[in-house]
Amino acid sequence: MPPRLILLLDEALDSTKETCIRKGDIAKKGEKLFLYKESTCYVTAPTSGTITSIAPFTGDFGENATYLVLEKDGKDEPADGISDFADVPDLAAADGALRTLPGAPPLELLAAPDSKINKIVISGMDSDLMSTTRQYLASKCMDDIKDGIERIKNMTGITDVFMAIPEKMSQLSAFQGMNTIKLTQDYIGTLPQMIMKNHMGIAPAAGTSCEDLGVCFMSIEAVLSLTRAYKEKAPVFDKIITVIGKDGGIKRVSAVIGTPIHRILTQLGLETREMDRIIIGGPLEGFSAYTLYHPVQPDMDTIILQDCEDIPGVSDYPCINCGKCVRICPAGVPVNLLVRYLEANLYQEAVDSFDLDACIDCGLCSYVCTARIPIFQYIRLGKHEQLMLEAEMETEAENA
Amino acid sequence: MHKQNKFTVSHAPFWHDGDSIGETNKNIMVAALPAIVFGVFQFGMAALGVICLAISSAMAWEALFQFISKRSIQIGDYNAAVIGMLTGMMLPATVPWWVVIVGTLVSVVLGQQVFGGIGANPFNPAVIGIAVLSVSWGTYFDFDAALLSYEFDFTALAPLGALDHQGVAATELFSTQSLLMGNQVGAIGSVFGLGLIIGGLYLILRGYIRWEISVAYIAGIIITAALFQMSNPEAYAGPMFHLFTGYTLLAVFFLAPESSSSPVNLIPMLIYGIMGGVMTILIRNIGAYADGTLYAILIINLINPVIDMIRPKALGKGVNNA
Ligand code: SF4
Ligand code: SF4
Repeated sequence: MPPRLILLLDEALDSTKETCIRKGDIAKKGEKLFLYKESTCYVTAPTSGTITSIAPFTGDFGENATYLVLEKDGKDEPADGISDFADVPDLAAADGALRTLPGAPPLELLAAPDSKINKIVISGMDSDLMSTTRQYLASKCMDDIKDGIERIKNMTGITDVFMAIPEKMSQLSAFQGMNTIKLTQDYIGTLPQMIMKNHMGIAPAAGTSCEDLGVCFMSIEAVLSLTRAYKEKAPVFDKIITVIGKDGGIKRVSAVIGTPIHRILTQLGLETREMDRIIIGGPLEGFSAYTLYHPVQPDMDTIILQDCEDIPGVSDYPCINCGKCVRICPAGVPVNLLVRYLEANLYQEAVDSFDLDACIDCGLCSYVCTARIPIFQYIRLGKHEQLMLEAEMETEAENA
Repeated sequence: MHKQNKFTVSHAPFWHDGDSIGETNKNIMVAALPAIVFGVFQFGMAALGVICLAISSAMAWEALFQFISKRSIQIGDYNAAVIGMLTGMMLPATVPWWVVIVGTLVSVVLGQQVFGGIGANPFNPAVIGIAVLSVSWGTYFDFDAALLSYEFDFTALAPLGALDHQGVAATELFSTQSLLMGNQVGAIGSVFGLGLIIGGLYLILRGYIRWEISVAYIAGIIITAALFQMSNPEAYAGPMFHLFTGYTLLAVFFLAPESSSSPVNLIPMLIYGIMGGVMTILIRNIGAYADGTLYAILIINLINPVIDMIRPKALGKGVNNA
C-alpha cells in the first residue's frame, strides 16, 4: 500500500460552505468521509491516516469533483462500527457502508426507495475492448460468486439474476443452474443495451437508460467484493486492474483504491514520456487521465498506455458522407447527418430528428470515421448540453 | 513529488481503424490504374498526357481556389487528384489540352468548391465537368471522329455511337468478350471493362465504396435493357452490350458511388443504384444522347437527398414500453 492515497469524491467543492472533513483530520480504516453535513456521497478510507489536502478535481466537461489526500499512519486502525453492516445483511446497511467497494456495486441504485429495478445482470464480460479484469475474475472463485449472488437475491428480493459470461469460457459448466447469458467476444454484443435486446427480450427505448427499464448491470468484481466484505466483516479495498503497456503487453495487478497510478506503472516498470496518453477504461469508451496522480477508482478496470506516436489524429475535415458510421452503428443512428447538426451546436434538432437520444455510447462511429471527425466527443458534448438544457427548462417551469 | 509529464488528454475513442480521406482516395486511384494503363496502351502517350494533365490541373485549381477563398489548402488528401483523374478518364485521348484544363476547372470549382468543398458537393464533380464539356464542345466527344487517326486491329467504332447510327445490327460487331477486353473505341478510362471490374471489386472488398450502389446499378442496367430487348429485339441492344460500353462500368464503380452525392442507407442505396441503371438505358434507348450515363448520374445525385430520408428506425424509437 502506498504511503499516500488519493480519494475522489463525486461532489464539487463549494468555497462558501464549510466542509465537515478538514485538513489535518484523522481518518480510520473503513471510516466514511463526507464533504458536507448534508452530503449523500461518501468515500471510505482504505486505511487509517491524516487528511493532508482537500482540493477540487476537474473531470470531463468541467464537471467538478473533490479529492482528498490521505497520508497513511501505518497503524491501519479500524473505525468504530466498521463491521456493523454485516450483522443484518440488508440493502440499506450495505448501501451505507459498501458503496465504494472494488467493482463499485450499484447499491445506491438498488436501495433507492423508488427503485424500479427488477432484474440484475452480473457481468463477467468486460465493458470495453482490451480489458480482461472481469473475465479473469469470472474464471476464479466460483463459490464466492455463487455465494454473492445468493446474498444479492436475498437482500434485494430480486430473483431475476442473470450471469453474462463469455461463450468460450473454460469453466462454463460451473455456472450450471444459473440464468446465464452467453456472449461472444464481439464488442457490440457486450454493450448493456444489446444484451437486453438480444438476450432478455427487452427493447431499449431511446432516451431511457437500462435502469429506467428495470435492469441493473453489476460487475462480477462487485459481487466478489460483497462476498469478501461479508466474510471479513469489513469493507475491502483491493481492486483488480488490467494494465496494458505500450507494447500491448497485458499485466494484471491488484491495487488499493486510491493508489495513484504512477505507483502501479513504476512497479511494473512501465515508463511514460511527454505527450503519451494514459487511457482509463477501454480504448472506445474510456477517458484519458491528465496526471499520473490519478487514483485507482472502484470502477477502474483497465489502464492503457498509448505512446505519443501511436495516437491517431483528428482532423478538421467535414463529413464526406462515406457512410461507414451508419453501417457500424448498433443503434441505427444516422450519424452522417447527426454530426452536421452537432458541429453546428443544434442539439435540439439532433435529438428531435437525428436520434441523438438513441445512441448507446459505443464510440464505434468515431473509430471508423474516414474524415476522422471526433464524433463521439460531439455526441457526448451534445448529450451533456441537452441534459443541461432540459434541467434548465425544468427549473424554469417550476419557478413559473 | 517527482517530475510530471504532460500527457495528451482527449476524448474516446482512443483508437482508430486507420482510414482517412487520403487513404480512401489513394485506393480509388489504385483501383483505377488497370483501366488507365490499358487506355494508355491502347491510345498511346497522348492518353497518358491527358490523364496527367487532368490530375495536375485539378490539383492546381483546387489549391488556387482554396487559396483565394482563404480555406486551408488540402492538396495532400488527393481529393482533387481523384476528381481530375476521373475527369481525364472520361475524355478521349486526342482532346486538346485546353479542354482538359477547362474540364477540371469546372469539375473542381463548379462541381465541388463552390458548394463548400469536400463533402459538400451535391453532384459528382467529375460528371459535372464532363457534362459541361460535352454540351459545350460536343465534337470532341464524338469518339469515332476524335480517334480517326488511330489504326486498331478491331472494329474501330465507338459501340454506342454505332448503335445510335446503325441500329441494333451494329451490336453484332462487338462480342461481349472483346468489349470486356477493351476492343472498342471510347474514352481513355472507360474502354477496358475487365480492368474497371477488377478495380471496382477491389474497392468493394476494401470497403471504399458501397457495394449496394454498384450492384443495384448493374441490376438496373440489366433489367431495363433486357425488357427493352424483349419488347423489340430488332430495335434495342441487349443488356451485356450496354453494360460493357460507354461510361457504364465507370459509373457503376467510380461515379455513382461517390460518397457525398450518394445515399448511405440500404433502401435508398438500392433505389439510387437501380434508378441510375434505368435512367442510363432510358436515355440511351429513347433519349437524344448516345450515352446517357452522365445525365443518369446527375439525376440520381439530384434525388439522393430525398431518398436518403428513408432510413430504419433507430434503436428504441417507435416502441412503447415505458
Ligand atoms: S456512439 Fe456512434 S456508433 Fe455508437 S451508438 Fe452512438 S452514434 Fe451509434
Ligand atoms: S464515418 Fe465520418 S465521414 Fe463517414 S459518413 Fe460518418 S461522419 Fe461522415
